[in-house]
Amino acid sequence: MEQTPTLESLQAALDAQQAVFSMHQAMNVEVFYWWCTAIMIMIHAGFLAYEMGASRSKNALAAGIKNILALAVIIPTFYLFGWWIYNAFPGGLIPAEAAGALPWATSMGPDVTDMGTGIFWAAFAMFGATTGSILSGAVIERIRVSAFLILTVFLGSVVWILAGAWGWHPDGWLLTKLGYHDVGASGVVHAVAGFFTLGVLINLGARKGKFIDGVAQTISPHSLPMTLIGLMMIIFGFFGFLGGCIIFNGGETGWTTIYNNPTNLSAFAFNTLMGFAGGVIGCYIASRDPFWTMSGGLVGIISVAAALDMYDPALAFIIATVMGVLAVQFAKFLENRGIDDAVGAVAVHGFTGFVAVVLVGVFLAGTPNVGDVPAISFTGQLIGAIVMAVTGFLPGYVISLILKSLGALRVPHEAEDLGLDEVELIAKPYPEANVPATVPSEVPNKLANTEPAL
Amino acid sequence: MGTSISTWEGVSAYFAFADSPFALGLFAFGCAAIVAGLIAGIAKHENEAFDKFKK
Repeated sequence: MEQTPTLESLQAALDAQQAVFSMHQAMNVEVFYWWCTAIMIMIHAGFLAYEMGASRSKNALAAGIKNILALAVIIPTFYLFGWWIYNAFPGGLIPAEAAGALPWATSMGPDVTDMGTGIFWAAFAMFGATTGSILSGAVIERIRVSAFLILTVFLGSVVWILAGAWGWHPDGWLLTKLGYHDVGASGVVHAVAGFFTLGVLINLGARKGKFIDGVAQTISPHSLPMTLIGLMMIIFGFFGFLGGCIIFNGGETGWTTIYNNPTNLSAFAFNTLMGFAGGVIGCYIASRDPFWTMSGGLVGIISVAAALDMYDPALAFIIATVMGVLAVQFAKFLENRGIDDAVGAVAVHGFTGFVAVVLVGVFLAGTPNVGDVPAISFTGQLIGAIVMAVTGFLPGYVISLILKSLGALRVPHEAEDLGLDEVELIAKPYPEANVPATVPSEVPNKLANTEPAL
Repeated sequence: MGTSISTWEGVSAYFAFADSPFALGLFAFGCAAIVAGLIAGIAKHENEAFDKFKK
């Protein structure tokens, strides 16, 4: 004879089911960010191919090893202090209590009761590594690896994450005071890294032969196909990056942005792909250049990333197309001023990220934020964009200036002439191939600048 | 010697030396020293390599 269940036994069964459900939900959160992090590694595989391809063959491996080492130093330094900075500085420059994020805290290691810290730390460490890769491409063929690693530690484990604490944290002052909105990190990752790079490039100077009598010359990539494939790998990795920008909540909440407003991956999917397509078209129209056409995919996504949750996809496409055209013009503008940005990082990441944040204030002003936080506004977005640019530029400029004054920033002319692979490394990229180290290019300057740089 | 637990019952942080902030601080210092040593080593190697090719 079956026993009639009691209220207590039903409650116990319900509690057991709830515990199972909660555990699986927590595991799903971990699984989601685990794969986002894995996919983000593809960004670095892409940057690796992209930078090696963009270098001349005499510098191909030096460019590659610099990129790999950037990952290797950002990960431990982000563990040592990057994660603490994010948790301690949302209010500004005075640190709040965040002892749980210090490397000797028990939450910073295997803990069966904490299914969040490690996986979020990993995703953020990869965001930091992305900023290092943005810098890495722009400075190829003449920066000292040691100087680059010092700069990349500052950028990837200090500077961007400080901006992230301000603009990409639920308690960040840019959000709580100004209603700042930047869900896909156009500002906190791309603008910060782009303007940091600009600061470095000013002190680093151009590659030898880039400017002759003030006129910009083409320094052709030794493998444009490798560069194009690398860029497409970065686009793939962006889906991990942008997935990592959304919050997978437990309970009935579902997906939210980092600012707690509801959203979902569908919204991100619409606008990521439409942004990609628009950017490619815009850069192609403006340049007809394969390198810039493929870079347009990055421009397009970055140009709409700040409001992936809110743009109409057709509007995102239009914004990305226009930004594709403008990014090429901005790259020309920089080149005309004697800035040798080997991969267009300042235009693609800095300029586009900056404008993307401002555009949120143009198209979405008045949109409420969740809780007791100001609505999105043009002023708030403009101030936020300026904060990102300054926060990136100043340390990039100052630290590289110090390194320059110590003679520790740039390789000597002889090494630059011979190629860094031969001087610094014990390997050759193509030992059995007859690839000349330098080939005078007959291809017109890719940006068609014929005027002397100012 | 580094275990921080004696049973899996009611366990939370269970990694090596999790119960010893001094040891964890020491490892963090070691981690920082490796990164700093790497960069210093690369700078030294660069100086030597560049000197070899100086005209």
